[in-house]
Amino acid sequence: MASNSSPVNFNNGPSSPDDSFSSPIPNTSSPAHRRRRGLRQTSTPSSAAATPPPNPSRFANSSSTPTPSRSTRRGRRPATSPTPTAAATPSSTDDFPPPSSDGGEDMEEATPTFVWGTNISVQDVKNAIQMFIKHFRETQELSNDIYGEGKYTRLIHRVLEIEGEWIDVDAQDVFSYDSDLYNKMVRYPLEVLAIFDIVLMDIVSLINPLFDKHVQVRIHNLKSATSMRNLNPSDIEKMVSLKGMVIRCSSIIPEIREAVFRCIVCGYHSDPVVVDRGRITEPTTCSKPDCLAKNSMTLVHNRCRFADKQIVRLQETPDEIPEGGTPHTVSLLMHDKLVDAGKPGDRVEVTGIYRAMSVRVGPTQRTVKSLFKTYIDCLHIKKTDKSRMMAEDPMEVDNGSQSQRIEDDVQLDEDKVEELKELSKQPDIYERLTRSLAPNIWELDDVKKGLLCQLFGGNALKLPSGASFRGDINILLVGDPGTSKSQLLQYIHKLSPRGIYTSGRGSSAVGLTAYVTKDPETGETVLESGALVLSDRGICCIDEFDKMSDNARSMLHEVMEQQTVSIAKAGIIASLNARTSVLACANPSGSRYNPRLSVIDNIHLPPTLLSRFDLIYLILDKADEQTDRRLAKHIVSLHFEDTEIAEQDVLDLATLTAYVSYARKNIHPKLSDEAAEELTRGYVEMRKRGNFPGSSKKVITATPRQIESLIRLSEALARIRFSEWVEMRDVAEAFRLLEVAMQQSATDHSTGTIDMDLITTGVSASERMRRENVLSATRNIIMEKVQLGGPSVRLLELLDELKKQSSGSEIHLHDLRNAVATLASEGFVVLHGDSVKRI
Amino acid sequence: MGGPPYDCVANPLGAVRLTFEKAIGSGTQTHPSAFDGKDWGALDLFRHFLFQESGLSQVPILNPKTMRWVQPYTLVRYRGMIQDMLGNEIYVGAYKDGNLWRTNKFMDISQYPMGSSPDMCVWERRLLYCVPVPGQSSWTETSCEMDLNQGMDQSSQNRGKRRRMDDEDDPMDVVPDDEIKSSPTTKKMREDGFPSSSPESRDSKTGSSCTSMATFQYVDKDYLPCLVKIYDCPESELKLNDVVEFIGVLTFDSELALEKDDELSNSFYDDALVYLPPNKVPRLHCIIHRKLAVHDFLQGFPIMEPKPHLVKEIREALFRHLTVVLGNDGVAAHFMLLHLLSKVHARADDVAVGKLSLNLIGLSKESVSVFGTRLSQAVKNLLPFTHCIPLTLEYLNTASLAPKKDYQTNRLIPGVLQLPEGSHLMVDETQLESGTLNSNGIENTKLLKNLMEFQKVEYDFQYYKMEMAADVQLLIFSEGKSNIVPADVVIPFQPSSLGSSEIPVAEAVEAWRWYLATVRSLPHSIGSEMQKEVEDDLVAARQADRSLGSQDFNRWLTMARLVSTSFGETSLSMEHWQMVKELERLRMERLK
Repeated sequence: MASNSSPVNFNNGPSSPDDSFSSPIPNTSSPAHRRRRGLRQTSTPSSAAATPPPNPSRFANSSSTPTPSRSTRRGRRPATSPTPTAAATPSSTDDFPPPSSDGGEDMEEATPTFVWGTNISVQDVKNAIQMFIKHFRETQELSNDIYGEGKYTRLIHRVLEIEGEWIDVDAQDVFSYDSDLYNKMVRYPLEVLAIFDIVLMDIVSLINPLFDKHVQVRIHNLKSATSMRNLNPSDIEKMVSLKGMVIRCSSIIPEIREAVFRCIVCGYHSDPVVVDRGRITEPTTCSKPDCLAKNSMTLVHNRCRFADKQIVRLQETPDEIPEGGTPHTVSLLMHDKLVDAGKPGDRVEVTGIYRAMSVRVGPTQRTVKSLFKTYIDCLHIKKTDKSRMMAEDPMEVDNGSQSQRIEDDVQLDEDKVEELKELSKQPDIYERLTRSLAPNIWELDDVKKGLLCQLFGGNALKLPSGASFRGDINILLVGDPGTSKSQLLQYIHKLSPRGIYTSGRGSSAVGLTAYVTKDPETGETVLESGALVLSDRGICCIDEFDKMSDNARSMLHEVMEQQTVSIAKAGIIASLNARTSVLACANPSGSRYNPRLSVIDNIHLPPTLLSRFDLIYLILDKADEQTDRRLAKHIVSLHFEDTEIAEQDVLDLATLTAYVSYARKNIHPKLSDEAAEELTRGYVEMRKRGNFPGSSKKVITATPRQIESLIRLSEALARIRFSEWVEMRDVAEAFRLLEVAMQQSATDHSTGTIDMDLITTGVSASERMRRENVLSATRNIIMEKVQLGGPSVRLLELLDELKKQSSGSEIHLHDLRNAVATLASEGFVVLHGDSVKRI
Repeated sequence: MGGPPYDCVANPLGAVRLTFEKAIGSGTQTHPSAFDGKDWGALDLFRHFLFQESGLSQVPILNPKTMRWVQPYTLVRYRGMIQDMLGNEIYVGAYKDGNLWRTNKFMDISQYPMGSSPDMCVWERRLLYCVPVPGQSSWTETSCEMDLNQGMDQSSQNRGKRRRMDDEDDPMDVVPDDEIKSSPTTKKMREDGFPSSSPESRDSKTGSSCTSMATFQYVDKDYLPCLVKIYDCPESELKLNDVVEFIGVLTFDSELALEKDDELSNSFYDDALVYLPPNKVPRLHCIIHRKLAVHDFLQGFPIMEPKPHLVKEIREALFRHLTVVLGNDGVAAHFMLLHLLSKVHARADDVAVGKLSLNLIGLSKESVSVFGTRLSQAVKNLLPFTHCIPLTLEYLNTASLAPKKDYQTNRLIPGVLQLPEGSHLMVDETQLESGTLNSNGIENTKLLKNLMEFQKVEYDFQYYKMEMAADVQLLIFSEGKSNIVPADVVIPFQPSSLGSSEIPVAEAVEAWRWYLATVRSLPHSIGSEMQKEVEDDLVAARQADRSLGSQDFNRWLTMARLVSTSFGETSLSMEHWQMVKELERLRMERLK
């Protein structure tokens, strides 16, 4: 632990165990140096703690940073330090001995003391920091508790209790309390942080003089983050904050801080020898007066002190890379507790000091390369979220397990949130989002609205009794080839928080759900997740749904309603979460959609599965000259006008993603009373529509599944508006969306009414009625014409007879065949080929 | 000027220093920090020399051949593709040596000890890793050959001049020379290296001071990458995969093998550089750079206005040539011509407008060996950058098509599909047999498909993928319609005769190259009347056949544009639109 500049024992001289640490790697610098160097340059006569350390030359290597602007400043303004020491110059060659023995000591009498090369008074900074720690209060504290302890005083107490080693200081707090101090801190972090540490230790020793650990300050949350790309020479020696992705961590490097030697002649242990400019000088003679053996000292490893060090490479996040560029990287130097704070692949936000060190051509060469290697001396590291949208967005309101919710960092900064909120207040936000969804596909507005609802999703509900209701909306698109269904799917896939895109033809049941394999190495059975499990809390896009094997499709039943995948195979019995929305698209079984047939006949999907889709859209390619013309115009302009037709009022993908993810994460709309009432009323009305007065025909126009869909849809619509309450208009729009979808897919073409039976069984009520009519007519004819046990009758004869009787409706052979088959199953007739015989 | 006081080619650093001193000296108050990210007049000097005084041809092009005699600290040219960007480097740009300001710009090592100087300006430069353009046709390099001879004379002349200058007053060049001599590693390397042949014989020929030759003798015979350090260039100007000519100072520093001390410190430095030893990868401090177009690779053929009659003539000849190559299949030759002219000229969402990939079907393994090779020869002869992928199962399973980031070395490992704009890629699918693809194979087919459909390649950065726009002409040979790489145009290939593959005259080939390069970049537009006509045609076609979609329309319009530009015209005419429809009709007939 770099517990060096503790004021208590700071003055112990060279024998102090805390005294000096330097890395074994030449020219690197540790936080210890940072502190050290600050001290050295800011000698305050009044404070014993700030007395310059006795061995100034060791700082030569820590100060390898060029400090360009400071040197130029020095040219203009007379420096406070009359003899700039080698330590402060950008040189780092070992060949140059520090010219003056100690510049700092020369000016010990001078008051006030300034940070070298600036007009910043050390005492002022110290006072400012003391004031900040003692008096800073958060805004909400201010009003009610003026005389209580400030935030950081409390923090210090807590750290003392848990014997912690650092205190996190929010730079925003510093800024709001004393912007001048903040600016100084960012501009001269080495110096100011050193003072900060001293002040902190002063306070700590006041509270608990026996506390022997060293408490450091860690600054985080700077006001402005720098992009890695924009780091430039002027940032050197300043505090910066960067976002990026950890791509590589070195192994932990034990860095020697002090060494102990033992004389092999007399066994005398030397005083700890501290690291000097990255090197430790082995004493040539034993220092025990009665031994003095030459070249007898050996290193005692287990009495040396080491500190952890790690070099981490940070890479730009993909969204910061300009077109046609490759990501930049920067090295981070981590110490002690920061070691292993980030793993490769983590997205982190780092606060640290940007530093540079010069490179020598080689140890044997005198020439110094004109290059500097830059790195960031890391002060604080914070993990940010990984995925584009919140991967673990708490869409589900878990009634019981609220506490489990991990408080993840808000990825969106405040400005962005404000912007999104502003956006949500626009009256036409719903239309605008619809327009922004796949802007290169026109028309299909209602389909897009449905997809939008799917993206936002409803609230999942889990009752204490264990019953759960899904919040995910499933959508099926059925339509003619070439109607950009796949493009819509691709687009949604790109936009969705997490999701898998598969094609029905290439998916097997296990590939979709989960499968058990034997690990080739260990022989253990392992559960591998399939597409649906992988897209938990996302959208699973399945193209060519109709081409999927029945086996695979049957697996979807459970997923789409229970949202789990159950496995019982090879000794593994498990139920995996698959809280995914399914977006599927299917082509009609003939190449074109036949409007005379029902949806089920058209796509050959089992009705049980079909009914699990909340919305089923038919995308039909109508031979409409108007749309064709628009298409032609669009394509011609695409090819011949070099200027792209800028679509007005369309949100870009990033904003759209941010909007969706924010809404999914933060908005959890509830049904208002009037909305609930409206839902009930509307549902009853839908049901009623099936009962034609005076008709025996019972058409089911809505099922309980529809009301669930309606709730989900209206919740999603409220979420689109960032509204916490589902209102009347949401319900109305949900009804409209459902009706549009149903009208297309569940309309009985012979009567023109919506018939849910079409979806649930594939046969409409009117069709069923007709079949019954044929059946009874056939029964009558057979009763009349055919004798019991008599000769058989040919089907065609029967058909002629039937046609004669029922003059009104058309009767086909296959209708008759169906009827006869039913009669045969009743045991009324037997059917041999084409001839019917009564029994 | 009557003999400039410096020689831009032999002693560019002298010129740089001179202008720097002049700029500093002109106003005593001028602080070098004013030159941060700016030029102080050196660029103008070089520009004047290179382009006004046509000094460009005197500057040797860096390639494995010239590498053997080119001197460090001289002006060279390097033509290559930016393969990777290694980030920025911070260096001491200017520092005070005593009372004098010195600059380190365009240098790796400072000549004067600057450790004691507290006055310095820190500037930054970008590092670009460049490689020879993948798939570069041999005809593009003939110019280098010419330059070589020229450069030889020039450089031996210069050498004399240079020596004189060195003797006089220029310590700058002496220092590095000394250094090389004193450096034990280089000496050792020279001894261990190739026994004697080239350096010695060359020594005798060119006289003296050839120590530097040993420096680069490990250079691969025909593959010479280069690390370009570029100054004061806005980031957006140079992009990955651009083909650029860099003119700058070739430097040599003896950092090689010296920084191997311990792995710890290396991991801390820019790893990439550790893997690019300067004896394999020369450093070039770029003074002036310019993006190269195909025209820059053409020699001999004068640059002229694309006059309609001239263009038509060349078009006719080229068409005849292609017909012969394609075994007298005129329709295929038509499509081939359009294919060779295609380029992505706009992007709207996911649609790359202007691409026209071609799939010749009906080819077997045998016929490919005849026509495929002939065609690839012809294409190689016509286009500057061509590539051929034999699509076998093994290739798909093992090849790395996408560039991949290696975080161990911090480098982008090039993939086959990292191609500059305007490359031509031939995919031979006839050799594909049934079998199992592994995950790498699936990944590769996906890449090919994406390149075909969207003209984009996903670069693998391990933790995420990054899409890079590409502009590659794809030509596929297959037996049936290729499903792995679904092309825009599928045409059954019906050769009627083998025909003799006569070798075309050099001038004609030159003309064709010029034609392909020029016509491709012609602007194009459509009159409002014609637009109406086309729209009506499209609507009518769609009314008649509902299976036509936007893809078909896109293809027609791309073809329309290409047909009319192939005649050197800049706006679509009815005649050409009819021609497109006729071509499509012929193609459809064949497909039946």
